[in-house]
Amino acid sequence: MWTDFLILMKQEMAVIAMIFILLFMKLGRDRSNESFMNTMNVLLLLNLILGFVFNHEGILFNEMFRTSRLIAFEKNILNLAMLIISLQSYSWLKTNKHVPEFYILMLSSLLGMFFMISSGNLLMFYLGLEMSTIPLAAAANFDLTKRRSSEGAMKLIFSSAFSSACLLFGISMLYGTTGTLVFSELPHLINNNPLQLFAFILIIAGFAFKISVVPFHLWTADVYEGAPVAVTSFLSVVSKGAVLFAFVSVLYTVFSPLAKVWYNMLFILSLLTIITGNLFAIRQENFKRFLAFSSIAQVGFILVGISRSSDISTTSVIYFVLIYVFSNLAAFGVVSLVTAVTGKENISDYKGFYKTNPGLSWVLTIALFSLAGVPPTAGFFGKFFLLIAGAGKGNYVLISIAAVNIVISLYYYLRVVKAIFMDANPTPLPSIRTPLMPKLAFIVCVAGAVTIGVVSPVYDYIYSLIVLR
Amino acid sequence: MDTSAIIFYAIAAFTLVMGLMAVTSSKIFRSAIWLLLSMVGIAALYFWMQVEFIAAVQIIVYVGGIVVLIIFSIFLTQQAGTKMPGPSLKRIIASALAALFGLTFSFNLINHYGFSSAASQPFSLSVSDIGVQMLSTTEHGYILPFEVVSLLLLSAMVGCIVIALKPPKENVERTVAAPENITVNITEPEEENVNVNIREPLIITEV
Repeated sequence: MWTDFLILMKQEMAVIAMIFILLFMKLGRDRSNESFMNTMNVLLLLNLILGFVFNHEGILFNEMFRTSRLIAFEKNILNLAMLIISLQSYSWLKTNKHVPEFYILMLSSLLGMFFMISSGNLLMFYLGLEMSTIPLAAAANFDLTKRRSSEGAMKLIFSSAFSSACLLFGISMLYGTTGTLVFSELPHLINNNPLQLFAFILIIAGFAFKISVVPFHLWTADVYEGAPVAVTSFLSVVSKGAVLFAFVSVLYTVFSPLAKVWYNMLFILSLLTIITGNLFAIRQENFKRFLAFSSIAQVGFILVGISRSSDISTTSVIYFVLIYVFSNLAAFGVVSLVTAVTGKENISDYKGFYKTNPGLSWVLTIALFSLAGVPPTAGFFGKFFLLIAGAGKGNYVLISIAAVNIVISLYYYLRVVKAIFMDANPTPLPSIRTPLMPKLAFIVCVAGAVTIGVVSPVYDYIYSLIVLR
Repeated sequence: MDTSAIIFYAIAAFTLVMGLMAVTSSKIFRSAIWLLLSMVGIAALYFWMQVEFIAAVQIIVYVGGIVVLIIFSIFLTQQAGTKMPGPSLKRIIASALAALFGLTFSFNLINHYGFSSAASQPFSLSVSDIGVQMLSTTEHGYILPFEVVSLLLLSAMVGCIVIALKPPKENVERTVAAPENITVNITEPEEENVNVNIREPLIITEV
């Protein structure tokens, strides 16, 4: 029992251990930021490696915690993203006064996501979700001297409180009608009665807030703009990825009796999300806002993939999130570095960026190509598999509109690339020296964004994890 | 309608009216007091359901803890007596319509569902049973959520402290500048996380 417990919960235990190591290091003698960051990077790397060994399937605490090789793999993706973000935020954190606190908040949020993904019970699910957002709201306020940062944190906490309220209302009605909170028992008790449908709609709304699906996306751009770049990238990659993983598993298991209902919902939501995300991304001037709307549009494509419930769509979603980690983090990494050094955030500032920073320009370009889905990069394969998965049901209307939108999205991604390479600018950004840590992160990201699409074993590996389940 | 039902409706009406007053009052301090009374109404509902322990927790945590903290932060940040500007007529109508729609919609749904009458399973109410269940790892034990909540509180506390800390200029100045610091604290977490409010006095004492 004791060893079972340690092995099954090893990833959570590792994160908790890191939190406590940080707390004790903070309490001890004064340390330099460098020593904190180096320790954390080493620990996060160890944590990532630990995630790949001793993976077993199991259920603990009356299904409040369950794990399998698939769930462990999902957590590994999040661990990887956390490590990359930690490496990238080097330049920003170097001068920050609260490095250990930053890591504690991020790791707590990560821990909440782990519990959320592993939950087999709506109570634990809700707790995990809360634990993943509350620390993030504090972290969004990390630029203590900036008003925008506080504003972003405020908007985040209000909208997440609202979405939690929706979710809780839904959960309580579901509990009232079925008398249970356990995932494995719920599908047998859910039928098409109106009260449960309403509960389901509220729960979907709660999810939609977190992954910023369109009618619920209003907080996204402001929070992304205000928060420090490290937190923004965490929000857009790790947090979104975790909620998507949980969303897929809840939708396909608990709400499988309502498949017809949510298929129609996802159809409409995904179209709205893709179109709105695209149209608004076109007119953004601030780089972070631009990436915010681009990530909204990406979620729309993911919803297209989810809309058909099958092993293929689960695989394509996880695969896409993995690619998204690499490509989005590469883009955010460059923005983070440029903001930390020069303080400039507008797309127009990037005019002539190639003249002074050829290396960073290429990283950014590959990232944007991958986000847009231009063939040799991984993003193309990610979107391709999502659309294939969505097309399984023969809904070619949805697929063709999504495909047209991929073309539209090319316009605004290429607009940035054009600014970097072609636009003349008498005063381009100064040449930026990339420190070792972000350089490592960029190498990992670019390697991922270029190779994962071509290396088919990755997709097959994820598929095998799902089929074996 | 028997006596029990009459009492239920009375308590529910009280809670709702107090909630409505809390939302519509134009003085922020009064809002807090109405909120407090609304919380008391909810505690009364728990008493009516004969779950005394939960009722007591409701009073201790919400009435005794959170609302008092809200009042504290109002005193520290706002002019408690000044009247806030009222919302425009358009907003009043829109929100009233939205609330009315929500009410009739969910009432209609719940009314038509036909819940089976009170659960036949009797449940154990003694405090010791609740305590054991909360820390039990066996069937229907809640040790895992219990521990997760404690970690959540830890991180919320760290978050609050970070937000509240002003970048210190000089160590000497820090003690002198204390009152300023406090006003800065509260502007952030005041409404920010109602469920995490319990930690605020810690910040105040620590700064």
